[in-house]
Amino acid sequence: MKNSSWTYARKISQSFCLALFLWLFLQTEYRGIDQLPYPVSLLFRIDPLAALADFLAPGPFGWQVLWPALVVILFTVLFGRFFCGWICPLGSTLDGLGKVIGRGRRTFSPGWRRVKYYLLIAMSAATLFGVQLLGLFDPLAIFLRSLTLAVYPAYNYGLNGLFDFFYEHEVPLLSSLAKTSYPVFRDNLMAFHQPIFALGLFTLLIFLVIVLLEKVEHRFWCKNLCPLGGLLGICSRYAILQRTPQELCADCQLCDSLCRSGAVRESGHMRSECLLCMDCTGFCPEERVQFTLRTGADNDLGVDLQRRGVLTAMASGVMLAPVVSIGPVTHEQNPYLIRPPGAVPEEEFLQRCVRCAECMKVCIGRTLQPALLEAGPIGLWTPLVVPRIGYCEYNCTLCGQVCPTGAIAPLKLPEKKKNVIGLAVIKKDRCLPFAKGVECLVCEEHCPTGEKAIVMEEKEVLVDGELRRLKFPKVVDKLCIGCGICETKCPVEGASAVRIINEGESRRKRAEFLAGPYG
Amino acid sequence: MTRIDRRTFIRRSIQTAVATSAVGCLPALDLLALPAHAAEMPPLAVRKGQDVSLLVKETLHALGGMENFVKSGDVVVVKPNIGWDRTVELAANTHPEVVKTLVELCLDAGAKQVRIFDRTCNDERRCYTQSGIRAAVESVKSDRVSLEYMDRHGYKELAIHGGKAFDRWQFYMPVIEADRLINVPIAKHHSISRLTLGMKNLMGVIGGNRGRLHHKIAESLTDIASVIHADLTVIDATRILVANGPQGGRVEDVRNPETLIASPDMVAADAYATTLFGLKPEDVSTIVAAAQRGLGVMDLKQVRMV
Repeated sequence: MKNSSWTYARKISQSFCLALFLWLFLQTEYRGIDQLPYPVSLLFRIDPLAALADFLAPGPFGWQVLWPALVVILFTVLFGRFFCGWICPLGSTLDGLGKVIGRGRRTFSPGWRRVKYYLLIAMSAATLFGVQLLGLFDPLAIFLRSLTLAVYPAYNYGLNGLFDFFYEHEVPLLSSLAKTSYPVFRDNLMAFHQPIFALGLFTLLIFLVIVLLEKVEHRFWCKNLCPLGGLLGICSRYAILQRTPQELCADCQLCDSLCRSGAVRESGHMRSECLLCMDCTGFCPEERVQFTLRTGADNDLGVDLQRRGVLTAMASGVMLAPVVSIGPVTHEQNPYLIRPPGAVPEEEFLQRCVRCAECMKVCIGRTLQPALLEAGPIGLWTPLVVPRIGYCEYNCTLCGQVCPTGAIAPLKLPEKKKNVIGLAVIKKDRCLPFAKGVECLVCEEHCPTGEKAIVMEEKEVLVDGELRRLKFPKVVDKLCIGCGICETKCPVEGASAVRIINEGESRRKRAEFLAGPYG
Repeated sequence: MTRIDRRTFIRRSIQTAVATSAVGCLPALDLLALPAHAAEMPPLAVRKGQDVSLLVKETLHALGGMENFVKSGDVVVVKPNIGWDRTVELAANTHPEVVKTLVELCLDAGAKQVRIFDRTCNDERRCYTQSGIRAAVESVKSDRVSLEYMDRHGYKELAIHGGKAFDRWQFYMPVIEADRLINVPIAKHHSISRLTLGMKNLMGVIGGNRGRLHHKIAESLTDIASVIHADLTVIDATRILVANGPQGGRVEDVRNPETLIASPDMVAADAYATTLFGLKPEDVSTIVAAAQRGLGVMDLKQVRMV
């Protein structure tokens, strides 16, 4: 297959963008500077689907942040789905991996193409009524989520294993090479602490399914399922970058079998389906295919969405909202549902979070973990503070910095230190001084608030028939911010003797006692 | 006066232990707890001053100079407290200038390598930066000096002979294997051990679930100190934390005695430091336990003030 210079340009763009995103991804880590200069969330600023989610979420649209996404839309209206063919990291990954695993040449019923539009319509309708699930299907979110929760941890695990091997076994040359290169890797190309995520395998499986769909059909995901592809498809119906010849040539029909998006038909060239990969400008044996700027000459507008289908999609989206809303209040169902500092109130949080997992990538204490059902049926992959795994670092504001949609507000450090995400509760049946009559103060020692939120109270108690003076930890509710370091560091094995619950979080607005039993 | 250095100390201990077990058994003999300095009056230097660098130099000068502790070609570990993500004025970590000056003195004394590390409580990257110690160490600009993150391969379980709280624990081998260890704690309030000083600072070079040590803090820390021998203890009391320790976070809890305490006898140094808080050595159970175990002198009348 011959490549035209356009194809080369496209491949360079794809490689460059993918490399850029991966570089940004690696920059999304604390490397000694409190304010991240290049977080990977920059990627979402060009994501029209994130812009749509933000637009449909309560509150004003984030113009200052999301204007690049509108530029993408504008260019799509003019030129078509260049984003899918030239920029999208998931698309590039599928192109690359498809080559490796081998591609199917099956052509699915064109009806499948409608799915992405229906998905987009249903999700938008649901979002409008308060249930945002766009993030589950956003290709950028899928890409980053899979990278963060599965691929990157595995990569780190593998590399660490390799370095360990050369450390433990003296292999001439390689061992010394490993020893000298380790700090370079650790400081630039690896996570400082091995990332640990409960949903790693689950996330990887979903990613693998998307990749394996390449076996069925080239760019199956982009062609049939991707709601961002659907959104850009709708925008590009009347693009002025047009292909000639529009339809399949009577004497050749090669485009029919080679076009990765199946955009060329007897009836014409579907601009809403064309990914602008430009391959046809190269493989056309007669070199007939050209893309030129012009208007008019619309003989194929693309996929017929069918009114019935659109209405059904819309109705199912609208239905989704009340069904979800009549569920029990999640923070009452699950007192351990704790959100990162700066998280907006739960309902809005779920509407804003696009499940990109960037907060989890950047979390210095590794406390942020993806939810499965802990945050209710639609809380999948949203970030949870899980203090037994890690704690929220007192002087760190990174999660708010990287959140692309304002689900976690970027807090200045003084505000962050006052932001209450939960409350420590001491379990007297586990806590050593209470349960065993043994001295311990690890929770108090680590409590980071200037005036400690865990204090030690000395009392005389009877332990095994003997009177002893012991110090007991006590939580000062009004000082505790719920950072969870007490739960992380509690030396009791297994379940911690101090646990964070979501009582008193700052984001839940309610009247406070001026003074009183909880003071 | 015969000083035994770290290597000899360890070698001899191990040899004796092997010999003992070969002969049969003498369980009553507390081999590793044999005091290295208890027999004579240990020197103790206390100086005051605002210029931290000068203060360190004067204090060391009083002890006969760093040459007395570091020999040419030695690998030296300087162990400050870098445990917390706190800035200098909050007095949670050792003063960076104290660390820097000690490192420079070690280099001047001919140290082959000076390694600085701590097993931190908050994220180590944050602690190293926020404490100012990273910048201070980097400003020395010597390839013989390294501020290192703890290497996860570096821990090894060692037996604690005569241990009263534990019979074994994970220790950080680069400390055990170094020629010299200079222990540089900052003096702070602590709710259970009352104060955190030199002995508590050694918790930064052990592995394992350190929280468990608090259950029997005095005997546990003494067990640890019976394995890790510091050749020199320099207690930074330029600023001290009198409440909400060991992490602090409020300037109101910081006092500024502008003092430095140094001694080859860690127990003596710790004992003196208690006086800065209006306490007596016997008020701090870890000091009492260590003295009873013969690891050093807690009676301040039995030390030689220099």
